[in-house]
Amino acid sequence: MNERSRLAPEPMPRRDFLGLSAMTSALVALLFAGIGMMRLPKAAVLPSPSRRFRVQIPESLADGEPYVPPGRAVALYRRGDAVYAMSTICTHLGCIVKPTAAGFDCPCHGSRFGADGSVIKGPAPKALPWLQVRALGKNAFLVDEGRTVPSGTVVQV
Amino acid sequence: MRATKHLLLWTSLGALLLLGWAAYAENFRQEWRLLQATYRDRLPADRRAEFSKQLRQIVVPALNAADRCVTCHLGMSPGDTALPGDRVFGPHPNVSHDPAQFGCTVCHGGQGRATVKADAHGDVHHWPEPMIPRRHAYAGCGACHTHLSVPDTASLDRGRTLFERHDCLACHRMEGRGGTLRPGGAGGMEGPDLTAVGGRGYDPGWDAGHLAHLEQERAGAVGVAAGGGASRGGVARPWQASFAPIPTADLQAIDIYLGSRVGAPGLVEAKALFHSIGCRGCHSIAGVGGDDGPDLTREGQRDPGQLGRTHSADGVAATGGAALTGWLTDHFRAPARVVAGSAMPEIGLTENQIDMLTFYMMSLRRSDYPEALWPKDRIRAERFGEREFATDGPTLYGTYCAACHGRQGEGMRFPGTTAFPAIANPDFLAIASDDFLRQTIRRGRPGRRMPAWGEKEGGLRPDEIDAVVAQVRRIGGGVQARPDPRPARWANGEAAAGARLYADACASCHGANGEGGEGPALQNRVLLEAAGDSYLFETIRRGRRGTSMAAFSDASPVRRTLEDEEIEAIVTHIRTWEVKR
Amino acid sequence: MSQGQGMKQFLGNLKAAPRRFAESAWRSGAPTTDRSRSSFVFGNVFLHLHPVRTHRWSLRWSTTWGLGIASVSAFLITLATGIMLMFYYKPYPDVAYNAIKDIHFVVPTGRFIRNIHRWAGNIMTVCVLLHMARAFYTASYRKPREFNWVVGMVLLVVTLGLAFTGYLLPWDQLAYWAITIGANIAQSPREVTDALGMTAVFDPGGLQKLLLLGSEDVGAEALIRFYLLHVMILPLVLVMLIAVHFWRIRKDGGLTRPEDADRRVGDPGSIHPSFTEAPQKTYHLAAVVRGRSAAVGRGPEATVPAMPHLFYAEMAALMLTVFVCLLLSILIDAPLKELANPGVPENPAKAPWYFLGLQELVSFSAFMGGIGIPMIVIIGLALIPYLDRETRGTGEWFGGPGGGRLVAWSALFGLAAVLAVESFAIHFGWIREWWLAAPQILITLVNPGTVLTLIYALYSMALVRRYDSSRAGALGLFTCFLCGFVVLTIIGTWFRGPNWGFYWSPAYWPGH
Repeated sequence: MNERSRLAPEPMPRRDFLGLSAMTSALVALLFAGIGMMRLPKAAVLPSPSRRFRVQIPESLADGEPYVPPGRAVALYRRGDAVYAMSTICTHLGCIVKPTAAGFDCPCHGSRFGADGSVIKGPAPKALPWLQVRALGKNAFLVDEGRTVPSGTVVQV
Repeated sequence: MRATKHLLLWTSLGALLLLGWAAYAENFRQEWRLLQATYRDRLPADRRAEFSKQLRQIVVPALNAADRCVTCHLGMSPGDTALPGDRVFGPHPNVSHDPAQFGCTVCHGGQGRATVKADAHGDVHHWPEPMIPRRHAYAGCGACHTHLSVPDTASLDRGRTLFERHDCLACHRMEGRGGTLRPGGAGGMEGPDLTAVGGRGYDPGWDAGHLAHLEQERAGAVGVAAGGGASRGGVARPWQASFAPIPTADLQAIDIYLGSRVGAPGLVEAKALFHSIGCRGCHSIAGVGGDDGPDLTREGQRDPGQLGRTHSADGVAATGGAALTGWLTDHFRAPARVVAGSAMPEIGLTENQIDMLTFYMMSLRRSDYPEALWPKDRIRAERFGEREFATDGPTLYGTYCAACHGRQGEGMRFPGTTAFPAIANPDFLAIASDDFLRQTIRRGRPGRRMPAWGEKEGGLRPDEIDAVVAQVRRIGGGVQARPDPRPARWANGEAAAGARLYADACASCHGANGEGGEGPALQNRVLLEAAGDSYLFETIRRGRRGTSMAAFSDASPVRRTLEDEEIEAIVTHIRTWEVKR
Repeated sequence: MSQGQGMKQFLGNLKAAPRRFAESAWRSGAPTTDRSRSSFVFGNVFLHLHPVRTHRWSLRWSTTWGLGIASVSAFLITLATGIMLMFYYKPYPDVAYNAIKDIHFVVPTGRFIRNIHRWAGNIMTVCVLLHMARAFYTASYRKPREFNWVVGMVLLVVTLGLAFTGYLLPWDQLAYWAITIGANIAQSPREVTDALGMTAVFDPGGLQKLLLLGSEDVGAEALIRFYLLHVMILPLVLVMLIAVHFWRIRKDGGLTRPEDADRRVGDPGSIHPSFTEAPQKTYHLAAVVRGRSAAVGRGPEATVPAMPHLFYAEMAALMLTVFVCLLLSILIDAPLKELANPGVPENPAKAPWYFLGLQELVSFSAFMGGIGIPMIVIIGLALIPYLDRETRGTGEWFGGPGGGRLVAWSALFGLAAVLAVESFAIHFGWIREWWLAAPQILITLVNPGTVLTLIYALYSMALVRRYDSSRAGALGLFTCFLCGFVVLTIIGTWFRGPNWGFYWSPAYWPGH
């Protein structure tokens, strides 16, 4: 009879495989459940509205003047028979840029873009993207904010 | 202790297993994932790589819509490739409303937020707005549109016949037919597609334009003959010479027909039928019509779960939209068999008509979208008080009167109700002045089925009443009232004798006190005020051919003949009821 | 000190950082000795409500059937899943329903998590009720545990409150009408104040309803209030009370056990890890704290270290609860009916199942069924430990005079009484059917619910006289009320149809 002290570690028990595996599987199950729950906050669909919209360019719009449809971060231009659209979301950190005579100015961090959207100054890493436009006739156009086209792509009226 | 450890081990492993199953089901077994896998396999090889398996939706904040229909119907998803001809993945037909802009459920009904077929199509419990069955898809237009000036069936048929007889289909397409002159050939069709011409602002000046073309062609031909260059206004086309003047009456009928073409084939016809058989005489829609029957403004939005019904019109097990159309169809076949105690008679409709009415009922689904989003026709109908139906005599008669008085004014008799008068009876029209008819329509017959159409909410306007009067004359064969030189009240017989005679001859049908029975009620304030003595006198004397009202001046073996003085006495007796009131 | 040495020391520290981090986190080191196990328990903020050693009687399954731990497990599950659901839920009437639809259809794992939340809530309610029954039948409310019994009573009420407030949040027909009914039950004291003609000056019912709904009807105000109660106020109250409840279990000497528990648990046999040597000081803390601690006066062979033995038992109860929740959630979806329509009531509009017994009583009298009888029951339950001052049978199932036989007979009597009263009311109707002009106060006072309560009370009094023991009366009364609750719930759930009519089965409901 070997009296072991309460302070001395026990020799490794031979028969507690059951207890260990039980506790381990419980912890694994809880961990797995936790990981599964962590998936929930990443939404599968975003509640953002359709990025395709119809726009009517006013007859009076002058050549090279921007037309910004209400509530959209898009500028449409007409030059002669050609119509094109550019996103007005700054490629730096997402502020809405303001069309000016020379191009676009970003109010947040001073990026400046040319009339074709190319970066002239400031921290913006990329040019403003051009967006897909489809003519529907009678000055009506279908703009798709979700689809960019190469810079310089226009639609003929 | 061991048992506890075992319990812990096995419940933990069980939980792990269940979690694993849930994760597997979530990521690999969802219906839409399986469908998208099928879709990807069927895509052209070069498109497969860019296709991503994920939920898709069309969000329209103004309509409070988040329609995930495009998760499965990928052909209609903006940015995905349609597989033409496929039931699920096919493209959306080209309609005036872009699904990417309007979403799906605004027109089709169903549960846009769902991602499981049964839930999405509304074939489940606890979803009150099922999808409109495909056959009646255009009923969805009724969610926003009311349509204006829809004529009755006869006018529509006439217009269509003339449209075809004048060979318009040679150049124009209409609801998928026509354009046969050069179908899809070089330069496409000669004339524009007219399927939705009424919805785009119909120009009634087209005939003048055609004729101008004709003139131009002739002038051009002359010009060419004179050795000149091109004719004015461009190149003359050979078909321009084929125009010919159209008679004005035909032109009007074609105008009505074309004005009603709004790009919803079948729906206008269904609505026309509704406005030809007098449904609004009892039912009102958006506050216009009678109130004997239930209001139908949102009939197409009824919750199928509240119908107590689980089969379609063909008796096949069905839920959702099919259950609702089935209910409506069965209801039109025999109302009382579907709604216990229904007062609606069996109106003797053909199966085709029943289908059309079902279609129209399904389109009665005025949604409560904000008014700013309403289309023009609904604004005009609901805010500016324009009629949703044509206001010519035939349509008005078909809208308000036909159910009770018959489409040809022949009167109706339904089990359980008193007979409705045959108002196109020439004997009646010969003695009933226009004013009498007007007053009758305007003030109705208090206490009887005839409502005071000119006084009640949702009734007829004065000019509409005039149109109805004219229509009654028209279906009566154009019989006009004989002018009556006598004043409105002239009978001055002996009331007591009249009372005796009345009890003998009239009471059996009209009731001892004129309260009505087999015949109309005579003790009726409006009748007695509107009818002159001559009207009553002549009615008794000459009777009404084709009804039980005999001509009492004619000799008959079954009853005594009444002399003029006796008739006058009866009229005097009838007048005493007026005094009493 | 040279520069190189400082660098060496830094690198050494860097190398030792993970080990030191682990040491600082587990202050007592690996729990391989009795002492380190003890300090593992009392040195851990989450575990220190546990005793260091547990009596083996407490670890027998039949002592508690794990119901308390199952209740708290279910609560933890609802807490975790509830927080998850809050990511997507929006408590505004026009979007709440759509939010639930989104959770059901498109939120990753959303449907599963909502199902778990729902089922865990139900399981929590069941477990709390059964836990109460266990505590009662083993006479665990007796001195010194009277106060903990009362805390448990409050916990029961808060649990039901949580279940009830959660019911409105989906904003569907079921929710809307159940809450409308609930709010009007809150208003039902008017039944009495009206009868006494004092509503105009003293209107507790109207005040209750107004506080609950924030408006005349169930609407946006009610929704935000119920939301606040459901996710903030009631959980906080519950957590605090649970802490008190647990704390008191320790302070009141652990779980109840019979006087001869040591003898009855028998030889420890080969339990691992087992007790190693006689404790030096088991009550060094207990010496300064009033009351008894688990080990005082008991032989060491009857106790085992809480770590790991108690933890095995607790984890087993937790995992069993998790398993049942998961299984039910996979098999059965949480219901969601049509969008709430204030114009068209559900027919029948049924409350959640645990309130259907009450709804059955409410169908006789709103005040008595909804407030009067529940108050009598709750107060009666809370009074039990102060009326029953006996000691016989503590810690034994059905302990006390009469024992299991008495409970069995009482169950029989309770069932018979509730069935008789219900059948009578269903078959013959009640006062108003015979006497149309009956004053409301009469019906409030004399209705099947009050009659049943009276029968049970008289029966209990008879038992007190017969056995000359309050415990016997309590056993009878508790059993009777339990039977009444179960029978009324069953009737309300399965035998009531449209217009609260009696139907043998939903198949006989008239076409809805």
